[in-house]
Amino acid sequence: MMVEHFPVLIIVLPLAGAFLMPLLARRQVKLCWPALLLILVLVLGMAVTLLWRLDSSGPYFYHLGGWPPPWGIELQVDFLRVYLLLVVLGLGLWIAVYAWRDLEHELKPELIGWYCALYALLIGSMAGIALTNDLFNLFVFMEICAIASCAVITIKETRECLEAGFKYLILSAMGTGCYLLAVALIYMVTGHLNFALVREALPEAAALYPNNVLAAAALIIVAFAVKAALFPLHVWLPDAHAAAPSPSSAVLSGVVIKIYAFALLILFYRVLPGSLLSAVPLNEVILWLSVLGIVFGSIFAMVQEDLKKMLAYSSIAQIGYVFLGIGLANRTALVGALYHLLNHGIMKALLFMAAGNIIHAAGLRRIKSLSGIGPKMPLTMLPFAVAGASMIGIPGTGGLIGKWFLALGALETGRLLIVIIIIAGSLLNAIYYLPIIINAYLNPLSEGVSFKPVPRLMTASLLAGAAAVIFFGVFSKPVVLLLERAVTGFF
Amino acid sequence: MEETAALAVPIFAFLFPILMSPVIMAAGRRSAQLRNALALATTAAVFLAVVSLYPIMMRGEIIQFTLFEILPQLEISIRVDLLSFSLAALASFVWLLCTIYSIDYMAREHAGSRYYPVLIFTLGSCQGIFMAGDFFTLFIFFELMSLIAYILVIHEETPQALKAGYKYLIMTIIGGLALFFGIIITFELAGTVSLAAGPLVRETSLLAFLAFISFLIGFGMKAGIFPLHVWLPDAHPVAPSPASALLSGIMLKTGAYGLLRMIFHVFTIDVIRAGGWDKVMGVIAVITILLGSAVALTQDDIKRRLAYSSIGQMGYILLGMSVLNEKALIGDVFHIFSHAFMKSALFLAAGAIIWKTGKRLVSEMAGIGREMPFTVGCFSVAALAMIGVPPLNGFLSKWTLGLGALESGQPFYVFVLLVSSLLNALYYLPIIVPAFFGGLEHEHGSGFNIREATPRMVAPIVILALSTLLFGLLPTNIPFDLAQLTATFLLRGGP
Amino acid sequence: MEFLKSLSNNYYYLVAIILFVIGMHTMLTHANLIKKVIAMNIMDASVFLLFVAVGYVRGGAAPVIEASANRVYVNPLPGALMLTGIVVGISVTAYALSLVTKIFRYYGTVDADEIVEIRSQEQ
Repeated sequence: MMVEHFPVLIIVLPLAGAFLMPLLARRQVKLCWPALLLILVLVLGMAVTLLWRLDSSGPYFYHLGGWPPPWGIELQVDFLRVYLLLVVLGLGLWIAVYAWRDLEHELKPELIGWYCALYALLIGSMAGIALTNDLFNLFVFMEICAIASCAVITIKETRECLEAGFKYLILSAMGTGCYLLAVALIYMVTGHLNFALVREALPEAAALYPNNVLAAAALIIVAFAVKAALFPLHVWLPDAHAAAPSPSSAVLSGVVIKIYAFALLILFYRVLPGSLLSAVPLNEVILWLSVLGIVFGSIFAMVQEDLKKMLAYSSIAQIGYVFLGIGLANRTALVGALYHLLNHGIMKALLFMAAGNIIHAAGLRRIKSLSGIGPKMPLTMLPFAVAGASMIGIPGTGGLIGKWFLALGALETGRLLIVIIIIAGSLLNAIYYLPIIINAYLNPLSEGVSFKPVPRLMTASLLAGAAAVIFFGVFSKPVVLLLERAVTGFF
Repeated sequence: MEETAALAVPIFAFLFPILMSPVIMAAGRRSAQLRNALALATTAAVFLAVVSLYPIMMRGEIIQFTLFEILPQLEISIRVDLLSFSLAALASFVWLLCTIYSIDYMAREHAGSRYYPVLIFTLGSCQGIFMAGDFFTLFIFFELMSLIAYILVIHEETPQALKAGYKYLIMTIIGGLALFFGIIITFELAGTVSLAAGPLVRETSLLAFLAFISFLIGFGMKAGIFPLHVWLPDAHPVAPSPASALLSGIMLKTGAYGLLRMIFHVFTIDVIRAGGWDKVMGVIAVITILLGSAVALTQDDIKRRLAYSSIGQMGYILLGMSVLNEKALIGDVFHIFSHAFMKSALFLAAGAIIWKTGKRLVSEMAGIGREMPFTVGCFSVAALAMIGVPPLNGFLSKWTLGLGALESGQPFYVFVLLVSSLLNALYYLPIIVPAFFGGLEHEHGSGFNIREATPRMVAPIVILALSTLLFGLLPTNIPFDLAQLTATFLLRGGP
Repeated sequence: MEFLKSLSNNYYYLVAIILFVIGMHTMLTHANLIKKVIAMNIMDASVFLLFVAVGYVRGGAAPVIEASANRVYVNPLPGALMLTGIVVGISVTAYALSLVTKIFRYYGTVDADEIVEIRSQEQ
């Protein structure tokens, strides 16, 4: 049966596509985007099939090349992985549709083929991170992902892009270095790389070599905190996400940082032994760092003058919510975190796309210069307003649902302070999103601003995103039920 | 047959206006008349639909059903009981009058195609609040209404309006978040937030107290109680007058409605008393009453004076909630009615004066009664009702509230009511008396020189002023009966 | 004494950690972009060393299995993994160096401090 091989195909197809894309670009540049979209639609279809199959026949493991662990690499297919896969691929497809038209204007024509290749590489590596069940394999995918994401930042080759890209590359190399050291430490004491086998062997090893395992856990936190821009290791993110072309910002802020948060979740609760966490509550560290991130990310966002920089700082605050769910170590909160992961992906990608539209149409980047553009670009600012409302957590938008579960989870563990932080974070969001929206609609247009028409496909993808934000705010039950099944194995 | 109708009516009442608002917006592009007619037809349809529930409500039935689940155990549901019905009927009635009034009033203003859809949308979400079957649905509609009403507040787009609007928006969001906090604690404690599930929290605890405070902040923000009233005196006056009438007359009441729901559905009277929370409300109520009335004295802008007066009046309603016996509750619900009629009449009348003469300051209004006798006459009737002159409805509600306070042995509250009435007199009479008898030395002498606003503006004012008179006087007093029924219904334990 | 003994037994540990810290420190604090890239390599290499050292069994032969001989073999897996790791490291280095050359073309320097100075002068 072909369906058996879907897990590996989902990873290999984009990667193979990435290698063939430059060849295709040499012959027919125009076919690159359709080819990329075709690949993404195919893998998305496969992921949906996997979900459907999961529902009927339950989770299973896929052995790469038929080699069972401990020798072979194993991919795991369960609700959590498939959920992540769907988020990555769904958002990836959506952003790619937007990027198609946007990059025609933002990039030199000869780079389009390369961008497609990088994009496919990025998606493939993220699908790999979502599915893999092997420590070293995770490292490889992380490095692919790091290079691909740096490359989609630096492809414009402006000075800002290059500097931001280099900064990102160095810090991310530090992150992967830490992770690899952690893997070495774990491998030393257990002799395994497979998640399940490591989990089996670790309690015993932790009793013998507690320092090794503890150091590994700490290194893992540092590694993924850098990668996912958890405060205070977020320093690379604002420059990188602000300088990149808008579709790149959308995919980086919307999807890439989330995938690392997810990897941390898996490593923390599916690989490291529970006894370690109960002895040394490392999740508390994550919890309080995320709280700091929520507060300081928003405060930094308030003082920004550049729209995309502000959005980037807002991502730091929002990723805090995802880590909050991980740190609370509670199923309800985890559902909230995972729901927020999807939702923030949609909202933030939407906001970056809207920023891209504004830059495309009017060349405006500064927040103050946006006054009065609402009536001029209604189909851009309306989705912007919807996404802003969702950031604040207005009922009827997806933002509320994630916060609802996070707050409920925090209450279940008796942490009122966290609930108050979550709510205060919403208020902080309101303080910097609302003035932009009000300014755009109610203040007069600044002089000398002219508007170019925006391609319909770009506007259409914005509207689709706004519809999704509201859809996931109102009809959230199926996703929540899926997530409740996904987190059953935790804690 | 009646069953399905009973289910369809509440859905119609909130969904129809929400769906109509884009239609009205589209119609506005073609012709202003079509737009106005559609808006009017929508409000009239909603009013009729709500009123058609009257026989079912009088039988004491409760309509409660779930539309769909938004999350496990968290649903969008509908509930119409006596309290919902009273407020929904009141809201749609005042809305209808204000829409009629708007047609001429707004003809001079800009952006009518934005005003009407928003007006109708707020009607829908307001009906949604009153007909929500659980706190989550209530929360959704509450936020929806508050946020959309922002557009009404900033309608004039002056810098002053924008500033007031921003304050309003931030306060609304704080209120919404507090509400969220309260609801989530309730959900955590009870596992559901449905109104049908009876009292959700049956004993006091730190969490329950926090929930109470959060609800008080969330709903109190909207109701404009001290110290959360700061947005109100800025936001209400800058809106167009019909919108001010609705903001003050109806939308403030959604806060009061929420507080009543909180007292009887989240907690019980016993829990409130056991925790001593009624004292908290009592203290806040007294401060709100005195502060609102006292500050109103100092305001020269007529709409600001009315806005401060609203704060004082909402204090009465909170006072009734802190006394919490049958008389007080009757007074409470009846005062919601009375204040809606009085304050809408006052705002509409003030709006007519501003519309016709451009005078906003009380000090300029001497002699205006001889120019606009109907309008100012109605203003006077409503103002006298505010002061509590018998036999107007304001008297009846204060009387009942006072009786309630005495019954529970708190004569201090009666004293507060009296002081506040005195203050009301002090700031309303200086408007009315010079309006008729002042300014004689001016150009037209003592004769009448009638320059009324258009009939479509005067008629709603007259109807509202007549309501204040009739519902204080008539032997079969529908609002009072409803208030009585509602109070007994709530005290019996709601569900 | 005990500590020193265990240290001398696990000296490769120490070497790896020292290299790792040197690499990380240089990478984060040094202004010269090329040196940052070199530091990145040092850091990677330290982990590779540790990995390979872990796989080494004292007295073990190369893991080419002869059917007859009953011998102790070195663990082949870390070696294989580190080959992959080296390849990944090289590609990251190549990419980083290409970025440095592009930055050099813009600014005429590879010193981060000087770049900041140039940019501040422009503004």
